[in-house]
Amino acid sequence: MAIKIEKNFQAPESAAEVWKILSDPRSVASCVPGAQVTEAVDDRTYKGVIKVKLGPTVTDYKGEAHIERLDDQNREIELIGKGQDVRGKGSASMKMIGMVRELPAGGSEVVTISELNVVGILAQMGNRMIQEVANQMFEQFSKNLRQRLQQQASGAAGSAVPEEVKPIDAGSVAASAVLGLFKSKPKE
Amino acid sequence: MLAKTSPEIGGMGHPIKRKEDLRFIQGKGNYIDDVQLPGMVYGHMVRSPYAHARITAIRTEEAKKLPGVLAVITGEDLAKANLAWMPTLFHDKQMVLATGKVLFQSQEVAFVVAEDRYTAADAAELVEVDYEELPVLVDPHKAQDTDAPILRDDREEKSNLIFHWEVGDRAATEQHMKSAPVTALVKAFFPRCHPAPLETCGCVMDFNSATGKLTAWITSQAPHAHRTVFALVAGLPEQNIRVISPDIGGGFGNKVPVYPGYVCAAVAALTIGRPVKWIETRSENLQSTGFARDYHMEAELAADTDGRVRALRVKTLADHGAFNAAAQPTKFPAGLFSICTGSYDFSQAFCEVDGVYTNKAPGGIAYRCSFRVTEAAYLIERAMDVLAQELKLDPAELRRRNFIPPEKFPYPSPLGWSYDSGNYQGALELALEKIGYDELRKEQAEKRKRGELMGIGISSFTEIVGAGPSHTFDILGLKMFDSAELRVHPTGKAIMRMGTKSQGQGHETTYAQIVAQELGIPAADVAIEEGDTDTAPYGLGTYASRSTPTSGAAAALAARKVREKARKIAAHLLEVSEEDLEWEPGKFSVKGAPGKSKTIQEIAFAAYTNFPQGMEPGMEAVHYYDPPNLTFPFGTYVAVVDIDKGTGEVKVRRFVAVDDCGNIINPMIVEGQVHGGLTEGLAIAFMQEISYDESGNVQGGTFMDYLVPTAVETPSWETGNTCTPSPHHPFGAKGVGESPNVGSPAAFVNAVVDALSHLGVKHIDMPLSPWKIWQILKEKGVTQ
Amino acid sequence: MTSKRAVDITVKVNGKEHSAAVEPRLLLVHFIREYLGLTGTHIGCDTTNCGACTVLLDGRAVKSCTLFAVQANGRELRTIEGVGNTSALHPLQEGFKEKHGLQCGFCTPGMIMSACALLEKKPHPTEEDIRWGISGNLCRCTGYQNIVKAVQYAAEKMSASAPQA
Repeated sequence: MAIKIEKNFQAPESAAEVWKILSDPRSVASCVPGAQVTEAVDDRTYKGVIKVKLGPTVTDYKGEAHIERLDDQNREIELIGKGQDVRGKGSASMKMIGMVRELPAGGSEVVTISELNVVGILAQMGNRMIQEVANQMFEQFSKNLRQRLQQQASGAAGSAVPEEVKPIDAGSVAASAVLGLFKSKPKE
Repeated sequence: MLAKTSPEIGGMGHPIKRKEDLRFIQGKGNYIDDVQLPGMVYGHMVRSPYAHARITAIRTEEAKKLPGVLAVITGEDLAKANLAWMPTLFHDKQMVLATGKVLFQSQEVAFVVAEDRYTAADAAELVEVDYEELPVLVDPHKAQDTDAPILRDDREEKSNLIFHWEVGDRAATEQHMKSAPVTALVKAFFPRCHPAPLETCGCVMDFNSATGKLTAWITSQAPHAHRTVFALVAGLPEQNIRVISPDIGGGFGNKVPVYPGYVCAAVAALTIGRPVKWIETRSENLQSTGFARDYHMEAELAADTDGRVRALRVKTLADHGAFNAAAQPTKFPAGLFSICTGSYDFSQAFCEVDGVYTNKAPGGIAYRCSFRVTEAAYLIERAMDVLAQELKLDPAELRRRNFIPPEKFPYPSPLGWSYDSGNYQGALELALEKIGYDELRKEQAEKRKRGELMGIGISSFTEIVGAGPSHTFDILGLKMFDSAELRVHPTGKAIMRMGTKSQGQGHETTYAQIVAQELGIPAADVAIEEGDTDTAPYGLGTYASRSTPTSGAAAALAARKVREKARKIAAHLLEVSEEDLEWEPGKFSVKGAPGKSKTIQEIAFAAYTNFPQGMEPGMEAVHYYDPPNLTFPFGTYVAVVDIDKGTGEVKVRRFVAVDDCGNIINPMIVEGQVHGGLTEGLAIAFMQEISYDESGNVQGGTFMDYLVPTAVETPSWETGNTCTPSPHHPFGAKGVGESPNVGSPAAFVNAVVDALSHLGVKHIDMPLSPWKIWQILKEKGVTQ
Repeated sequence: MTSKRAVDITVKVNGKEHSAAVEPRLLLVHFIREYLGLTGTHIGCDTTNCGACTVLLDGRAVKSCTLFAVQANGRELRTIEGVGNTSALHPLQEGFKEKHGLQCGFCTPGMIMSACALLEKKPHPTEEDIRWGISGNLCRCTGYQNIVKAVQYAAEKMSASAPQA
């Protein structure tokens, strides 16, 4: 099933600072919960893994991400990622466009437009569940990215090999996702 | 025609309480998951997440290492024993465990056996499968496109078309379409739904290596057919296979096919040497076992200006999923769909059906509909309403003008059926009277002025059940007769064994009532047994409302054979000639001397103690009944609905169901069947669909999304009967279990469309969810 | 069952105490059906929707498929086997038989347990009360109409013989 997700968030850092991270797949991966880059095939293609836990089900996606377009001038990146669960529970593919814009009052805004397609057990949970899980993952991602930016700004050592960040436990994500469905929230 | 029996005897027509209830109300039923055998182990299925993919590797080492795991079987293992594929009930074959590729999401890929079900589930998680995704086909309309992926590379013909079937006179029908002053067209989709009986499918396979006998406990509506299929597929001698269908928690057609889980469990039992239990989960049930319907239909009517119909032209696309696992009689790939001329007198008709493969769960089983009759009844009843709307005629009046009149029976339909009897007018008038039709139409007119939405929907359906005569019907070659074996004991009690198998229809009571009617032995004294192939006479099982028409007939005829023998014994006891005796249920008396009589109990005793010289002792008879024709129950249902403009929610205010199933055995049981079937029709019309997204992911694969109505959504049903016996059935009965599921969807849809017809709405496809209705209301500008 | 990390539990079932060592993840319904051999409680789904597994835990109707056996430790359980018997049927059981409130019988134990709990709270329920009271129990055979009648029968019978302990 295909799901479109649009997410934005703002950061106090400049667009240039943010772009430094967003244009480097390894740095981006280090912010995605449960993700890890395992191999750089070439400067545009990376292999990696991402672990998603939904209740007792653990899905270990193994796949590849390819940078389709990298526009340093306009600070736009287009990524296509495809992965299959190692045990054969399903697959997911995603096309993501990420952009960084300078904000007039200072700071910058990150805009991501993603198209996610899930096949398999997780897709049976339905659109709503996947949407909420994706929402929660993006929340975590943006939190991690902000942290990274602060680290970068404070001059913390740039990590050559990003460590694996704890996988999102979609069990608790799912619980809050279900609760989220019942609260009336303004649409983002 | 039928003799009256006393309530103590409880023959035909008596609403006696059910004999089987005692164990169920105490929780002492014996359902498949209640079967416990010493040393029993558990099976769990590993399933495909993909709708279409090549399997490049399966790794089972991790799973096998888990303590408590006894076996992990894959398609490759089965292929060595030639069991990776099995025949379906409709001359196709189906993978037991996937080999090469998978063709639908949730397809069986590997079978894990372990000491307990939790370990089996854990081990299933450890099985690793590598897949290469292939392009997915979920739109049946695209199945025959030149660029459509060919799903079945096991077939010689590289095509997704399974069959093309046609019946009727195409040319003559076309003529009418061209020349008739009025034509009406409706495109009606009957969504894929699922019978979802409350108990899922399962089995316990027990192989005794010392005796070479396989005892197969299976949730099977057709135990003998299953036994024969097992014998042919597994190469086991048929006398060494015993199929036992225990108490079954609902079937509705879902428990007719042979499922991969049964075969895997049998193989596991044979190889491990311990009994293997396999019970599927609800998700597995909804996502992989026999679905129903999924018919994309088009009907065109040609009529005169007064509404008199001339011809019917029907074209249907049938989505069968990955394998044609439809349980259908061989000559009828589209089942009895050609009943689509319904209750109406058409001079010509033509019907064609194309069946295609898609990447969805296999099947097309008969869900409480006698082989596609629901689809047909839905189509013609919708078409009639569309015609009525076109002609601005009242839908009841249009039907009246077109009903096959009683004097035309037996009626030869233009599509080849000979309807045994019918009085459609009678059912319609009774239903309209019960619902207060004229008043409702007045109310509707007034409400319309105030902008309120209210609708009345009529469905005057004809059913075709009791398959079927041997000259036309067989399933996998097995003719569709059925049987009864009756034995009366010395003390006048009896036992009767049948070739059918109840899943809640009350056979332990109704069959006993047939014996009570024919022999006067109280129904309470007659034990009924079904489901054990070692003892029951061969039959084709219970589905398609066939038990009363076939086995019921066999029971009556077996009882009559017994009665004939009883007459001889009575003559011997009373020292008169047989001609001097007259019969009333329960005894033979000498004509003119009523004091001189012998009860059936006395006669039974004599059959063992004092029978005439030269007569074979004992008192029993077997009858295998080959029905001369099908039977044609019918009825009229009327639904009254009110639509909430703000939410699109449809409330069923009233529903009257008038059924005619000929002579009734137990009116209480008939009424219960009608209630249940109407509730299923309600669910299908308003809240159920199993659909697939473009990647082949199942939507509606659990009870969270596949909705079953609760007591809150279900309205109160009002029922009634007319009685037009079947002239060819031994006691004039027709069968009724499926009528409510057959006739009701059209009544609901007709009612909703009727509520919106003044806004220009001609047809809405099911399910009529509030969201769907609300969108229409918004489009028409009437949401306030 | 392999006893990895077994937990000792004691549950009073239909008036009798039972002790066992169970895995923490063992579902209550499996404990009832397999450890205690009480197979009247049924499993009809895997998403807590159908109610076939309904039992009374400390008098409250619960879905035993959605509880762990360890959660029943030290508590009282009542299953269909603890409701009436062949020689003395409970009014609900009588009602289901008299009013043809069952066909295949699979939902019946759960229905009776829910109805038990309902009648405890509402001894004189309206039809609407009954329909809501059993709305957690799915039935595919009866269309609920006769089940409602069965519960009404029981309610009348029970209030006729009341007051009692």
